[in-house]
Amino acid sequence: MLLLDVLTIPKDDAVAFTFFTGYMAMLAASIFFFFERGSVDGKWKLSLLISALITFIAAVHYYYMRDYYLATGENPTALRYIDWTLTVPLMCVEFYLLTKAAGAKIGLMWKLIIAAVWMLVFGYIGEAFVPLNPDGSAADGAAMHSVIYGVLSTLGYIYILYTAWFGEVKQLAEKTNNPVILNGIKTLAWFVLVGWAIYPIGYMCMPGGWLNTALGWESSNVDLFYNIADAINKIGFGLVVYNIAINASKAKQAA
Amino acid sequence: MSKAIFIFIASLLVLLPMVLSEGGIDASTQMTLCLPFILFIGIPHGAIDNLLYLREKKLNNTQFISIYLIVVFSNVLLWMFFPICAYLVFLIISAYHFGQSQFAHYFKETGLLQRLLAISWGVSLLSALIYFNIEEIQKIMLADEHFLVFDLLHQTQHMHYLFLASSLITLALMVLLTIKKAIKKEMFLLETVVFFLILLSFEVMPFLIGFTLYFVILHSLKVLNEEYHFLSAKKEVGSWKGFISLLAPLTLFSFLGIALIFLLIYLELIAYSYGYCLLIIISSITLPHVFVMNRFYQLFKP
Repeated sequence: MLLLDVLTIPKDDAVAFTFFTGYMAMLAASIFFFFERGSVDGKWKLSLLISALITFIAAVHYYYMRDYYLATGENPTALRYIDWTLTVPLMCVEFYLLTKAAGAKIGLMWKLIIAAVWMLVFGYIGEAFVPLNPDGSAADGAAMHSVIYGVLSTLGYIYILYTAWFGEVKQLAEKTNNPVILNGIKTLAWFVLVGWAIYPIGYMCMPGGWLNTALGWESSNVDLFYNIADAINKIGFGLVVYNIAINASKAKQAA
Repeated sequence: MSKAIFIFIASLLVLLPMVLSEGGIDASTQMTLCLPFILFIGIPHGAIDNLLYLREKKLNNTQFISIYLIVVFSNVLLWMFFPICAYLVFLIISAYHFGQSQFAHYFKETGLLQRLLAISWGVSLLSALIYFNIEEIQKIMLADEHFLVFDLLHQTQHMHYLFLASSLITLALMVLLTIKKAIKKEMFLLETVVFFLILLSFEVMPFLIGFTLYFVILHSLKVLNEEYHFLSAKKEVGSWKGFISLLAPLTLFSFLGIALIFLLIYLELIAYSYGYCLLIIISSITLPHVFVMNRFYQLFKP
């Protein structure tokens, strides 16, 4: 009876394939970050726990999303945004934890979390409530809906990007006078600039989005972009934090 | 990442969906949207050329402005008698100037490779601008008899090969300079991302909006910032307010000059169209500006 519920992965379905690889990669990364907490200095343990939580929350969501996708063939938009609403603010917490030693105040963390939630809430409204015709194509007003919520969502992204590259996070990283932290923050800022930029591409593939209307990219492309972006950003982000933690711990031991 | 690049990326992200959702934007609407930025940011970035050039005190202000005006009028004459030649000179010196200002702050010394990079980057930029907007440009050219003479230069195939060749040379030079450690790897990556975004904006946005986004933010704002820091380091300005008051006289003088020429066209005392005259004006003020900025970048490393 159980085997009847098994869903097969079509060989040519890159989206289904990446849902499975994404799930396993996130789970493996969570286990790695969690067990590596023992290898780093005390003050870095929380950062690694947050990294493990980010990938673990994503792994659980990917577990559900891959089944949802295989069963329905539709975008698991709601599940994705639930995942991001939890994991993206946690990434912002990482920025705060990394710069805490240089005097980062709790206000910085909340500002980043609010910007992240702002970005995601408007992104969700833009993506999930786009006016559609019964056949699933964009209805009148879909483009305007997509633009308004896309622009609003982008404002949150721009704030985080500014804070990481020029604002408090950058200034605090410089204040630490620690090249490991400085380089780590710079790499994380690159993740925000390049890695996070993949998400708007997915957003703009949805009906009403300009990649959908101008270039004919379809919503089936969305999941592929999102899966690749998630794997790079969440695991990569965690690995950068791990690298900072392990190098800073080694430097402390050597001193 | 510089603040100019950040502003460019932020503006692109916000404007891209807005502009594209509008569909086609006609040339006059584009002009209405872009002209204020070109007038109030683009023109001022060349409005203190005299102050930048006269630092060595080899010339006084009157001599400098006289030479400046001679160059400007010579260029106008070139446009009147050899328009294709004038147009090519304009494109080539603009290409070099754009490339030079894009990379000036990376290099401690400006050797042959750096100069080649400046010209190839600029040629790639301008050929991309024309290539990605060739239909729109040809439409403008067909609507104005004065532009017809340049039609031969704007053939899709020519621009395609020029864009590909110059882009490949640019990429090869950037890789070479990175290997030689003249550019940091991070800067290589950043410039690659920025160049990709410029090309994207040229491809998907209307001609004038795409160009204005690059010209105003990545070029003019960057140069204004460098000029400010240069004069600030020399203690010649103490604040942005003081800097703006330095920019104001020649900026206003340029506005008056453009207004006067447009009035003469309106009164049919000049036989050229507004668009063609604007191209001559831009070209004529660009020519001396490029020489001044070339000297500026030799004296000052941003």
